[in-house]
Amino acid sequence: MQPMTTEQIRVLIARGKLKDTVFQALGIICLAIGLLVIFLLVGDMLMRGLDRLNLEFFTEFASRRASQSGILSAWVGTLLVMLVTAAAAVPLGVAAGIYLEEYAKRNWITDIIEINITNLAAVPSIVYGLLALGIFVYTFGFGQSILSAGLTLALLILPIVIVATREAIRAIPSMIREGSMAVGATRWQTCRYHIIPYAMPGILTGVIIGLARAIGETAPIITIGALTFIAFLPPVPFTATGMDGASAGLFDWVMSPFTVMPIQIFNWTSRPDPAFEVNAAAAGFVLMGMVLSMNAVAIWLRYRMRKNIKW
Amino acid sequence: MQTHDKPQLKAEARNLNFYYGEAKALKNINMPIYDKKVTALIGPSGCGKSTYLRSFNRMHDLYPGNRYEGEIRFYPDNTNLLSPEVDPIEVRMRVGMVFQKPNPFPKTIYENVAYGLRVRGESNKRILDEKVEQALRGAAIWEEVKDRLQDLAPNLSGGQQQRLCIARALATDPELLLFDEPTSALDPIATGAIEELVHELKKRVTILIVTHNMQQAARVSDYTAYMYLGEMIEFGKTDEIFIKPNDKRTEDYITGRMG
Amino acid sequence: MPDSLHVSSQFDEDLARLRTHVLQMGGLVETQISSAIDAYSTGEVASVKSIIETDRKVNDLEKAIDDDCAHIIAKRQPTASDLRLVLGISKIVTDLERAGDEAKKIAKGVRRIYEAGHMPTQYGVGIRHLAEAALTMVRQALDAFARLDGKLALSVIRADEDVDVEFKSIIRQLITHMMEDPRTITTSIDIISISRAIERIGDHAKNISEQVVFVVEGRDIRHDKEAIK
Repeated sequence: MQPMTTEQIRVLIARGKLKDTVFQALGIICLAIGLLVIFLLVGDMLMRGLDRLNLEFFTEFASRRASQSGILSAWVGTLLVMLVTAAAAVPLGVAAGIYLEEYAKRNWITDIIEINITNLAAVPSIVYGLLALGIFVYTFGFGQSILSAGLTLALLILPIVIVATREAIRAIPSMIREGSMAVGATRWQTCRYHIIPYAMPGILTGVIIGLARAIGETAPIITIGALTFIAFLPPVPFTATGMDGASAGLFDWVMSPFTVMPIQIFNWTSRPDPAFEVNAAAAGFVLMGMVLSMNAVAIWLRYRMRKNIKW
Repeated sequence: MQTHDKPQLKAEARNLNFYYGEAKALKNINMPIYDKKVTALIGPSGCGKSTYLRSFNRMHDLYPGNRYEGEIRFYPDNTNLLSPEVDPIEVRMRVGMVFQKPNPFPKTIYENVAYGLRVRGESNKRILDEKVEQALRGAAIWEEVKDRLQDLAPNLSGGQQQRLCIARALATDPELLLFDEPTSALDPIATGAIEELVHELKKRVTILIVTHNMQQAARVSDYTAYMYLGEMIEFGKTDEIFIKPNDKRTEDYITGRMG
Repeated sequence: MPDSLHVSSQFDEDLARLRTHVLQMGGLVETQISSAIDAYSTGEVASVKSIIETDRKVNDLEKAIDDDCAHIIAKRQPTASDLRLVLGISKIVTDLERAGDEAKKIAKGVRRIYEAGHMPTQYGVGIRHLAEAALTMVRQALDAFARLDGKLALSVIRADEDVDVEFKSIIRQLITHMMEDPRTITTSIDIISISRAIERIGDHAKNISEQVVFVVEGRDIRHDKEAIK
């Protein structure tokens, strides 16, 4: 082959760069389409619901009249359900992830468990609802409570937490593990001092992504029988409730009936009165805001924690 | 050439075989490790020298499917390090290790060194402080870090990180210190500092070092073992191996000839 | 001695060139010695000049070879047989150069004797024999180096004893002569220094052979009577 002249080299580079430019433009267009759709949706909701977005909207219960309806019971319910979900899913998921990565022997049983976890993440959420109805609501007798809802959603996001935990643990170089074991640490000491702290940013990200998914779930919550219209809040611990004036216990709220944001939205959209659609749009915007701020928290936490972890 | 009294044994491999699953990685190795001496393991990539080194602290136990045969006798108590009855954690408490790439924990300098002591349940601040300083001095890094013990270890330079890892291993007073190509990621100056340190350390601790750098083996070790394809081809005094090896395979390797 | 090649062919070339230069130098020194002996027998004083000129070439080669050794050590860090070869060569060239100096001394002695007109006929055979023995030693030492033949080198070392014995007997003869006829003293002293130089050449050949044994076998047999048996 003849060596190329400078001129030929330049022509070759120019041809290659043209492809670069074309691909770059295509990428930007695709990205823009995706972003545009989201902005349109959010913007549309915001414009339609803007009228109702005032303080009363957050402090009023739902009402028959659209203009007086608020989302108090819904956002409180959502927050409390998320609290239960996180409290159940995080320890379970993290422990399971650590076990699978650090302790479990590699054999056919762990292989089956692994396949199942991946499959669980793909199970339709309504199936979880049915399962929970049978187990939590009837068998365990938790009823149509925040506890049942929280545990149901916890089941739903458990695979996400487990997978996130395992991924975060796998991202830790084996050198760190070996370094710890080499000074005579046990597996647990290694997990306690190294694996868990270093995996924490990744685990948290997984947890928050899981919660962001759970927060929007409607089907399983309806299945276990969340109320669509509720005009009271769960009992605040240590305050007087009802007529006997007895003080509520620390955990009484978990057994309380409840509603959540998506159900409230779903309920409003199914009303004939078009005024409720404004409420639905406003509530939808609030729900979006909740999800986005959770993601923001996740990003912030990850950034803060990762700052001190490098290998 | 002056003659020495034969030094005492610190450890001894006896008919050692090692398997990664079905693959036999070490073939019937017999070799002494002399007390308070530096023994270098040399050989081409994949010859089993790292595998052999990692048998001494049972690092292979961390991964499934690995199997030992034979013994590594550890003196003065004549324990068989490879015995299933001996807990690998006990072995690792007596045998320290420094890795190929510096692997400080993403924690403070202080915590890196104190970790081995914390693992042993030491929580007395005064004792920890004292031991940490001792270990950092022992690893010739105290002067460089004494004013920033609370800085994160990964912010140190590569050479400092490796000396910190040596300090981490020293903090628990190991009897045998394993070095797995400790300078392969370092520049010549940092390498020189580590070699100097190895020379200092052998006053206190027995050292077994794997190295790809033959000149390094010649510089730092008292004894050298040449390994090839999982076998121990030749073991002897470094001076003798590098001037007049007995086996042609050793000769070919150390003179840079194709095998 | 490994016959296989280095991974670095450049290293092989460096070492090959080094050995070639040593053999080249050895060839020059051999010529110097044999010319000096010829001059002694034939009285051809003219060749003395060329012997002295050759010595300059030998000196230049010695410096060049030493320089090459230093470069190889600095660049290649030779070990084992390579290290022994380089170390051996740097000592061998010293001995070769000195053997060349001795040849020069013989040549100058021969010139003095012939210019003074004293024919040393009565010692011709003894000196010639001694010189042939020393020359053979040098040749064989160089052969042993070229072929890396430790056995041949050992035989050269053993041969040195014969040369020493012969040298002593020549000296005894000369002393007798000088006592019998003091007029021969001037010539005799020149002849003594010639035979002394020849004996020294044998010693250098022995030293070279000792280095060959070190290069080949890794044994240092200098000052060790037991080792050569």
